Amino acid sequence: MKIFFGKREVEARPGDTIAAALYRSGQRIFSRSFKYHRPRGLVCAAGKCPNCMMNVDGVPNVRTCITPVIDGMKVKGQNAFPSLEHDGLSATQYLDRLMPVGWYYKIFTSRTAWHAVEPFIRRMAGLGEPPAVAAGEYEHGWLHCDVAIVGAGYAGMTAALEASERGSKVTLIDDQSEPGGQLLYRKRSRSGADGLIERLKARSEIRVLQGSYCFGLYEGNLLGVVQPAQRPGTAERLLHVRAGHVVVATGAYETPLVFPNNDLPGVMLATAAQRLMHLFGLQPGRRAVIIGADEDRVGELRDDFREKGTEVVAVVSIEDVVGATGGSEVTGLRCRNRKFSCDLIVVCGPRVPDAGLIAQAGGKLEWNQLQGAFVPTALPHNVSVVGDAAGETISAAFPPPAAGKRSFVCFCSDVSSKDLCDGVAEGFDHIETLKRYTTSTMGPCQGRMCQLMTIGICAQETGRSIADTGVTTSRPPNPSVTLGALAGNSHHPVRRTPLHDAHEELGAVWLDMGDWKRPRYYRTAVATPEKESVQGEYWAVRERAGLIDVSTLGKLDVRGSDAGRLLDKVYTHHFSDLRPGRARYALMCDEAGVILDDGTISRLGDDRYFVTTTTGNLDFVYQWLEWHLAETSWDVRVTNVTGGFGAMNIAGPKARDVLKKLTDCDLSPTAFPYMACRQAEVSGARSLLLRVGFVGETGWEVHCPAEAAEFVWGELLEAGREFGIRPFGIEAQRLLRLEKRHLIVGVDTDALSTPYEADMGWAVKLDKQDFTGKAALAKFASAPPRERLVGFALPGTNVPEDGCAVVVDGKLAGRVTSSRYSPVKQMAIGLAWVRPEKAREGASIGIRQSGRLVPASVTLRPFYDPEGTRLRT
Amino acid sequence: MSFLLRCPHCGERSVYEYRFGGEVKQRPPLDAPEEEWANYRYYCADAAGVQTEWWFHRDGCRQWLQAVRNTVSNEVVETILAGKTAGAR
Repeated sequence: MKIFFGKREVEARPGDTIAAALYRSGQRIFSRSFKYHRPRGLVCAAGKCPNCMMNVDGVPNVRTCITPVIDGMKVKGQNAFPSLEHDGLSATQYLDRLMPVGWYYKIFTSRTAWHAVEPFIRRMAGLGEPPAVAAGEYEHGWLHCDVAIVGAGYAGMTAALEASERGSKVTLIDDQSEPGGQLLYRKRSRSGADGLIERLKARSEIRVLQGSYCFGLYEGNLLGVVQPAQRPGTAERLLHVRAGHVVVATGAYETPLVFPNNDLPGVMLATAAQRLMHLFGLQPGRRAVIIGADEDRVGELRDDFREKGTEVVAVVSIEDVVGATGGSEVTGLRCRNRKFSCDLIVVCGPRVPDAGLIAQAGGKLEWNQLQGAFVPTALPHNVSVVGDAAGETISAAFPPPAAGKRSFVCFCSDVSSKDLCDGVAEGFDHIETLKRYTTSTMGPCQGRMCQLMTIGICAQETGRSIADTGVTTSRPPNPSVTLGALAGNSHHPVRRTPLHDAHEELGAVWLDMGDWKRPRYYRTAVATPEKESVQGEYWAVRERAGLIDVSTLGKLDVRGSDAGRLLDKVYTHHFSDLRPGRARYALMCDEAGVILDDGTISRLGDDRYFVTTTTGNLDFVYQWLEWHLAETSWDVRVTNVTGGFGAMNIAGPKARDVLKKLTDCDLSPTAFPYMACRQAEVSGARSLLLRVGFVGETGWEVHCPAEAAEFVWGELLEAGREFGIRPFGIEAQRLLRLEKRHLIVGVDTDALSTPYEADMGWAVKLDKQDFTGKAALAKFASAPPRERLVGFALPGTNVPEDGCAVVVDGKLAGRVTSSRYSPVKQMAIGLAWVRPEKAREGASIGIRQSGRLVPASVTLRPFYDPEGTRLRT
Repeated sequence: MSFLLRCPHCGERSVYEYRFGGEVKQRPPLDAPEEEWANYRYYCADAAGVQTEWWFHRDGCRQWLQAVRNTVSNEVVETILAGKTAGAR
């Protein structure tokens, strides 16, 4: 296997992580630090520190030490100019006196100065570049289990086997590529662990997610887990794991010791050296110095190094260390009385229980002086913690950190122990304020490398105990998560009407309405401008016939002996007295008397109504009806039949002639008057015909089974061809209805509009016993209105935009909600909310349009066919 | 917020399957004073503790239910199918 590292080809072995392959090839510098661009090498080799983060196949900040190699991967260093080996910006570390902790707050006190330098600082500091394109389709998945165990070390595997053997459905989540934890790289770690890994692997009932990290434990035992890509072409997958019980078995991790130049490549944690040796067969260095006091631990390391042929030059205690030496790699360690030459410094740091998940889920961590660790003391409901994460085997003496400007505590954002001391001296002496001021513990490692030392320094500098200093608040994510994984895939659902393909063929230009796609207008030729198309469609409806797809209307089938009673209760008009075969305009208000929705209600039989709602409000209306039913024992069933029916409105003076060709139903004005409904066959499709008049012409809404809709639509167009029928879109419909002064709920009304003010008082029947909104509406009926919705017209072709201000006597006095150029009036018309005193025929108002005040006159009558004779014909 | 809510029809489900419908309140009589109506329309008790609420199982059975929930801990004490009880609203 090969990977490409910059311009270099690097050989990789099966089982290698990216970092392991690079280390074997001699690479020691893995990144450049955030602020000073200091060279950084492997520190934890376990995915806990920020040092190995690289760009892999375009994805920034990949933890290469735990990412398995895939043949042909392209790997690049980050935040280095020009390269990891030679980064010119590393000179910034010698300017450190100019950049003390919080320096940008101190130096750039003027906004102008900050804005001038901010882009440079941003470029110079930081992590990887965000990718221009996603690495693939990020996915989300959901998983349910009885027991979820985080961490597949000794404790996690034992817990998984026990739970599984007791019959629980178990999911085991582990961020390494193989289960085993320390057992894989520490020979002395456990007795009694023999065969555990094999037993786990043999138990197929346990679902084991390797290479997957858990970044959060949320309410209701929801775990956020990121899995590596599952299929070619996809990126990471975010699993929402819901578990009856969560076992945190995340173990403990080693943290670095603080001494001058402790960040040089070649200074690594003891566990990191062991990982390199036992997981990847690497020799971490030739001459090693061990910093550590625990004899057992040192003995264990000596054995490992002997086996690998690494000479252990010396074992020293941290108290004796003066500092590491070296340029881009470590070359030696200076101690109080001696100096050692070496290429590897192995640090036996304090081990910290990895209890971040517990803390962020509401558990409590408390300092245990005996153990030298923060250990969980209170656990969230249905969560347990086992093994090292519970502090089982931890017993680390806490070494006093040495202050120094090259003694790094936080590798993520280059915070030294001196910076922390300075921070405390400047008054940020609470652990939470010190954290925010210095940004220590706030980088990609989420405090795992630096939290303990930061607390230690804060305690030391303030003279408080560690227990009193306390621990910073843990929040998800822990560790850092790819934003793409959180976002998931970019799929947005789209709803298409059953006539979608027919519109496409007719040259529809689409308009998105919620999830729906609707034709805005139809292009008769490729180059036809919108205005011309809309005008053509408009005149077809006014003079001949037009056909529009209204399948997106919400359609509810309401039946049962109490159906009329329900509709009486939630709509403002009477419906229980509606005769079968008749339809009525329906207006719905809330208890405050505000208009919620409108539509038509047709009575198809004694116990059966057909309700239409506006396109966007279907779900709301359905829920509203169901809510009103919830505490009753009424005999009503509400069924959403929207998707089951295709619907189209045929309108125009020739509409009757067209429709007549396709149905036996008597369409004459006397047999089928305005606001009547009939069930009949249209071109053989069982349909519901509704005689309504939104656009102001003779017309029918044809509701037919969705599967027949395309056929019926085609038949209607074919039958209408001799009359010059045209399909029309939303734009023409909006113009046509505006000429009739028909309002659209949510466009011409808002969250304060009442029927009386919107000139719809006729649709409210206060003589009903009770209905939703009656108390408020009864008041509004007699109270003077605050404003009124009126029509307005102004000469010329200059159409004010929706939302323009209405100005009277130099004062704001309302707003325009809809406006269009009316071909029949040959002037601009529209609807506007105005003060009540202006709501009279011919009153003059001003409309502010692109900075100018244009005079307009008010009208209370429809602009077109005010008597409504055309739609009743 | 990611607690589970037991739907009497569908069983225990993520709260994201539901639409919250507010506190269960008693609708005032038609001739109640304006203040009482205003309270009903615009105000809620917003208890820090146990309260009864409306929830609509949008991604499930599409029915309304009432949940007795502790607003501090999000512990759902009880869920009942709102309905078919005699209560007038």
